[in-house]
Order: sequence, then C-alpha cells, then structure tokens
Amino acid sequence: MKSLRGNSGAGWRCIETAAGLLTPLEREIVLGDLAETDRGALRGLIDVLGLAARRQIALWKSWRPWAASLGLALPASLFLLGWSVASSGAVARLLQEPDQSYLVWLSLSRLFLLICWAWMAGFAVGVVSPRTWWASLLGCCAPCLDCLCKWPGHGFSELQLLIFLVPGLWGVWRGRQHLRLSPGWAVFLVTIAMLAPIRSGRGGYLYGCCLLWPGWYLVATAIRQPTSQNN
Amino acid sequence: MLDMERDYNHNVVLIMVGEFEFLILSAAAHLGEEAYGAAMREVIETAGGRTCSLGALYTTLDRLEAKGLVETRMSAPTQERGGRAKRMVRVTGKGARAARDFYEAVVRISRETAWGRAPGDPA
Repeated sequence: MKSLRGNSGAGWRCIETAAGLLTPLEREIVLGDLAETDRGALRGLIDVLGLAARRQIALWKSWRPWAASLGLALPASLFLLGWSVASSGAVARLLQEPDQSYLVWLSLSRLFLLICWAWMAGFAVGVVSPRTWWASLLGCCAPCLDCLCKWPGHGFSELQLLIFLVPGLWGVWRGRQHLRLSPGWAVFLVTIAMLAPIRSGRGGYLYGCCLLWPGWYLVATAIRQPTSQNN
Repeated sequence: MLDMERDYNHNVVLIMVGEFEFLILSAAAHLGEEAYGAAMREVIETAGGRTCSLGALYTTLDRLEAKGLVETRMSAPTQERGGRAKRMVRVTGKGARAARDFYEAVVRISRETAWGRAPGDPA
C-alpha cells in the first residue's frame, strides 16, 4: 500500500468538499482510504461522488423522500404562499388603520397560524427525510419562483410571499437535528394547524386538510417514541 | 416432532451471493484480520483484474452486512490515513458458507464446458 502523499492540494480540497455529501462516519472512512492509497485527485473525486450518488439513489427507493418533497414541500409551499399574502395583508391594513382593534386580532391570529403551520410542515420535512433536504427545498422553491415571476408588486412587497420560509426553514433545521416532539406538543401543533384550513375558503379548506398528514404523522411518532430532548 | 423420513430441504433458505459479493467475501477472507476498504479494493483490482470503485465496494459491503455475511467495526485512527479510522471487515460463518456454495456452484456448472476444459488444454 502506498503511503499518504500530500493531501493539502486543490484536488484534495475538492475531494474533501465532495465528501461533505456523505455521513460523517462514512466521510472519515472514505477519506482515510483515499489518503492511504493516493490514486490521484480525479479518481478520488469520482470515487466520492460515485458513493454519494449510490447513497442518494438508495434513499429514493423509500417512500420518505417522495413524501417529503412531492407530498409535502411542494403542495405546502403553495398553501403557505397564500397564507403569507393574507397575513402580510392584514398587517399592512393594521398599519394603515391602527385604531381598528379587530385588525390586531386578525393580524396576530393569521401570523400565529402561519408560523405554526410552516414550522410543523418544515419539521415534518426534516424528520421524514433529512438526507434529501435538497429535493424538498427544490419542491418548495419551484412555486415560490413561479409566483415571484408573476407577482404584480415589486421590491419589498415581494417578500410578503416568502414570510412562511422563516418558520419553515427553522422547522426543517430542528427536524434534521432529530428533535423529538412530546405528544402534547405534536397534538397542539396539529390542532392549531387545523385552524388554518378552517379559516380558508372552501377550496383552501379541503386543500389544507389534505396537507395535515405530516401533523398526524408527528403525533403518531411522538406517541410511539419517547421524547429524547426537551423542546 | 420431526418426521425423520421426510425431506425438509425445501425449508432451508439458501443465500446465494452475486459475483461481486463473492469477490468481496474472498478478498476479506484472504486478508483476514487486515481486511478493510482500501486493502480489499487493492486485492480485488490486483487479483481480480478489474477496477473497483469505493461506491460499489461500500454499498456491497452494507448489503453483505445486512445479510449477516460479514461483520464490520471501526478501528483506531492511524497516522498513515491522516488520523482517520478504518472500517474493518470480518467474514462470518454464514458468509464463508455462502461464498463456498457460490464457488462450488460455479465449479459444478463449468465442468465439461468449453471454458472448463478448453481445446488444447492438457488432460
């Protein structure tokens, strides 16, 4: 076996960057093998990318990446785009008419529902398929980009569409950290999330109810597994 | 109570390995206590006369481990590998039997064939 020969060049840095696609344990094993045999940067890079591709293909044989990207991230972002506009519209009206007390309630309730719904959906995406987050991100970004292209406003108003991304990405981050929700928190979230479709029109009601499956999934997993971290 | 007159062979689950799985089992058995990814790859490429990607090697190793044909464990980090650990491989009894079955099947099926005894080979 050849000994390690300089693993600090640009080629090696490319290999190390590509190895970020692997799990930490596998990264250590593979980089160690490559450092030991030293077959050249290109061959090493092909090896790492090949292994990462095989691992991703294996993941897609399961239902989880499909459910997270096509079953949740894509339709939920369509639903939440509408809720983002409704919530920001209520806040804008409140700023114009600050003496209207019902607008305070309307703005706060819509924002609260939006945050709960987006966090729950993001958390479910992170829990169901943490290693295919990139596909879920694509599923989420596609409707956003489409809406941004067609949005009549310009400048700052376009951000109204994307308010849901902040709690959504926070949820994904917490879900990927393997945080376990307690059954009480899961039931609370799904109950609050159910209010969002109820407050929508008939079409939104049916659509939103269909999208509640991640909430019930979280409830079921929270009941089956003990809480490992406090939330 | 078992009826000793009956043939129970149909109840025996045979684990047949594939060609590449057989090469990995053979390389691991050949290396013994020193079997790990890079060393097995070198054996397969040198003795097997074929290229072996790390992707194929590690995904096949995972499959073999899931079937219970090999066991793996992490070694202590070594200086030679830049302070990184090795994934050591050990062939289980079940793995050895599966490899032997594969080898015997190949020998049996190759007997009396053109490549079993090519024209011009000494008798």
